[in-house]
Amino acid sequence: MDNATRFRSIVSAILQIPEEEVTNDLTSERVDTWDSLNHINLIGALEQEFGLTLATENLEKSQSIPVLKSLLSQHGVHV
Amino acid sequence: MTSPTHNASDKAPLDAVRAGELLDELAQQPTLVRLNQASAKLGEIKSVLGRVPVRLGCVSSFTLDPLKSVLELQAARAGMALESYIAPFGQFERVLIDPAAGLAGFRPDAVLVAVRLADVCPQLYSDFNGLKDGEAFALLDGWFDRLAVALQTFRQRSNAYLLIQNDEQPVNPALGIADAVSPGSQSEFIRTANRRLVDLAGTIPNTFVLDYDALVARVGRENWCDDRTRLYARIPVASRHYWRWAGFYVRHLRPLFGLTKKVIVLDADHTLWGGVVGDVGMHGIQLGHDFPGNAFIEFQQRILELHRRGVLLAIASKNEPGSVEQVLASHEEMVLKPNHFASMRVNWNPKPQSLQEIAEELNLGLDSFVFMDDSPVECDLMRKSLPQVLTVHLPRDPAGYPAIVDGLDCFDQWTISNEDRRRGDMYRAESERRQLKSAAIDMQSFYRQLDMTMVVSINQPAHVARASQMTNRTNQFNMHTRRCSEDDIRRLSTDGTHEVVTVALADKFGENGIIGMAVVGTGADAWTVRQFLMSCRVLGRAVETTLLRWIALRARAAGAKRLLAEFVPTGKNKPFSGFFADCGLSRAQATGDIQIWELGLERFEETLPDWIKVVVQAD
Repeated sequence: MDNATRFRSIVSAILQIPEEEVTNDLTSERVDTWDSLNHINLIGALEQEFGLTLATENLEKSQSIPVLKSLLSQHGVHV
Repeated sequence: MTSPTHNASDKAPLDAVRAGELLDELAQQPTLVRLNQASAKLGEIKSVLGRVPVRLGCVSSFTLDPLKSVLELQAARAGMALESYIAPFGQFERVLIDPAAGLAGFRPDAVLVAVRLADVCPQLYSDFNGLKDGEAFALLDGWFDRLAVALQTFRQRSNAYLLIQNDEQPVNPALGIADAVSPGSQSEFIRTANRRLVDLAGTIPNTFVLDYDALVARVGRENWCDDRTRLYARIPVASRHYWRWAGFYVRHLRPLFGLTKKVIVLDADHTLWGGVVGDVGMHGIQLGHDFPGNAFIEFQQRILELHRRGVLLAIASKNEPGSVEQVLASHEEMVLKPNHFASMRVNWNPKPQSLQEIAEELNLGLDSFVFMDDSPVECDLMRKSLPQVLTVHLPRDPAGYPAIVDGLDCFDQWTISNEDRRRGDMYRAESERRQLKSAAIDMQSFYRQLDMTMVVSINQPAHVARASQMTNRTNQFNMHTRRCSEDDIRRLSTDGTHEVVTVALADKFGENGIIGMAVVGTGADAWTVRQFLMSCRVLGRAVETTLLRWIALRARAAGAKRLLAEFVPTGKNKPFSGFFADCGLSRAQATGDIQIWELGLERFEETLPDWIKVVVQAD
């Protein structure tokens, strides 16, 4: 599974939304399940799946798919 | 969490087999992604695996919300349909005390109190060296006083079990390497606090302490916590431990709701020893002081320790009859001996068939069984044929066997009675009795040959633990399977309006221990049987009939006109269904599933059978 597919399936599993909805215009404001608790789960899942450690400041909500993607690319994971 | 599932393969309906496999896969790698995927199917998983409904309220001093669906998944794996309620964190005292709080409205069967001393008295963890003489204990006293008030207030309103977790040792104690050897050190203080928590719990009925510190130590103190989620979101435990963390809580609930396993059925070749005895002969098998033989010895030792706690053992092996028995009886390195096994099936039949026969022989439900085998094929067949059985697949490397036994969390009980320690002996004597039965001419002469003595005790304080345990373990010959805690039994036996009757049985083969109990309400006009149950291992010997008649005669002697009793069919208590009719009771009425049966005592003419000696030990 390539990184982009993997990324979509992680977000889909944590936010409980279909994979097709994981697009660049998805933001935490636009989906109910992207609440603060699930955001922490999402960061944790990305860490577990890609083998990274992210800084605590990333646990802050108010996020979007592009922000997550750029965060991953800073750690050498290109999705 | 409810949401549509994503792809086609997810849409196949779950049955018990598939749900079990899904949770087994999850247990192998409980990542957040997999936990969330399983949570999306939580409703289905619960409905196919949850036999026992349990309502668990949780109060905590930290954010426990991420554990909610994980708890319910772990509970389903243990056979519980768990509904959980997580109270808003940090308000645990108000939540316990306030009858208007959400917890009271939730009507829990059990309440988990997950309060960290590090949250309520932070100085004890972060500023221990700064505390002067006596200040640490003053803080602890203050906290325990608050806790005691909250728990006692809750207890006045609710009989729900209270489960309180104890406190973890600091990862790096305050005095560094000197902490372990310094009087009054932080680690000593936490040990004392945990001991005092046990004392406090002992003063409140139905309250249990969970050794959370031991859990953290097992996993590893340094890795347990994630400081980022702790500091940012007050989630003190790293997400990779959620599965294990939730499993820890569920493990403590199991024995309270009758979900403790009772029997291990073991394969022989590659399980008890290395090699195939049929190929290499008794002296060719791997069993001894060097690897791999020593791994099998350790495995057997672990199994024997469980047996001494009351777990029954059996063997289901595909081998020539006699070969396994010969190793058991004659191989000098064997830890497990023939007398440790309650039942043996050494033949070429499919193992699910052998296991069913063992279940019938021991008179225990299939959901009381654990099956262990090294063969993935046998394990798969067992899971698919008998999903009620917990199948444990042993890994390829025998060095991993002892840890597999250590990881089994399904045999726990909150108290271990003498009956538990001697259960194996009692079941073996039972198989000798069965042989006598097949030789006996008719039932009456069989009973007579058994030379039975029934010792009946009333309100006996020494029997409280066993009486409570029987209500929790007995599912088949049980009028309604309503569980009773030790405190319930204690209350009933001292309230002056009930008699708690316990029955011990001896016969020519030995003691059976306490095998039956009843609770009877002693009204002036009518006596009411509120509990009536009998261990299945003594059924078919008319002990149950004798006990009911004895109660009826005692009621009549006390001046009662009627004996009343309830029967509630549960799906597992079929053996009980004809019992009241056989004893001459008539069906009075039914309210929903509850049947009321009645016996008029004025015309009651039965006497106790002359082939069973009844001895009464009044309190």
